[in-house]
Amino acid sequence: HAALSRRYVLCEVVSEDSRCRQCIEDRTLGLAVRDAIARVHGDYGLACCSISFTVKYLNAYTGTVLLRCRKDSYRLLCSALPFVRYLETRAQRYPCFLNTLHVGGTIRTCQKFLIQYNRTQLLRLLQNCTNEEERQCIQKSLLSCSLTEEQSQSGDEEEDDGTE
Amino acid sequence: ARPNAAQFKQLVVTALRELHGEVGAALPVDVLTYEEKTLSAILRVISSGLVKLWSALTLLGFYQNRRCAFRVLQTSPFLLALSGNSRELVLD
Repeated sequence: HAALSRRYVLCEVVSEDSRCRQCIEDRTLGLAVRDAIARVHGDYGLACCSISFTVKYLNAYTGTVLLRCRKDSYRLLCSALPFVRYLETRAQRYPCFLNTLHVGGTIRTCQKFLIQYNRTQLLRLLQNCTNEEERQCIQKSLLSCSLTEEQSQSGDEEEDDGTE
Repeated sequence: ARPNAAQFKQLVVTALRELHGEVGAALPVDVLTYEEKTLSAILRVISSGLVKLWSALTLLGFYQNRRCAFRVLQTSPFLLALSGNSRELVLD
């Protein structure tokens, strides 16, 4: 029998408005993505992608989003992501766009990629600091990062992301 | 009111847009001939788009708030083959 394969799409929400990230929640983002799929791929595309579609993980501080869909329809999903132009909550519309970072077959591969990506992003933030105060702040949060081993699952590590 | 050629093309594109979205509506479909009296037409589409076009035409149910249905009589990669319908062929 055929295995149920899924694809996990890792993306980040990029917006000029700093309030946009605060208003990210899984429902608004899910609705925005499904609306974009319906516009770009019609009823068939919407039904195809909605079968196993959820927002698996959301980080409002960094704007990182992990979406899940079926393997057969991940191309429909990925091609519709550039058409998400705004997020709407409580009658407020924030223009933004989604940057696709990684497509993986499991949550674990996406997590590994995200840890690596966050590391490089922190270093780049440090380089782009304009004044000393920001530099001190970032250095402090970098040094305070720690790896905590969860008691319930052995060997599961999560990097503490100190940026906001 | 029966649709003219432009309205017929608009109907086909609308059907594609409903079922397959903007990507479907952008599929290059040509109306080669159209007869307003019999409401029959010959459409041309790239062969990779046949499934999208046929499914969109099948699921289109309304034209100007009146019920309608598309009936596909014949499909062929060659235009010449459409001049005779082998379903109406009578063997003497």
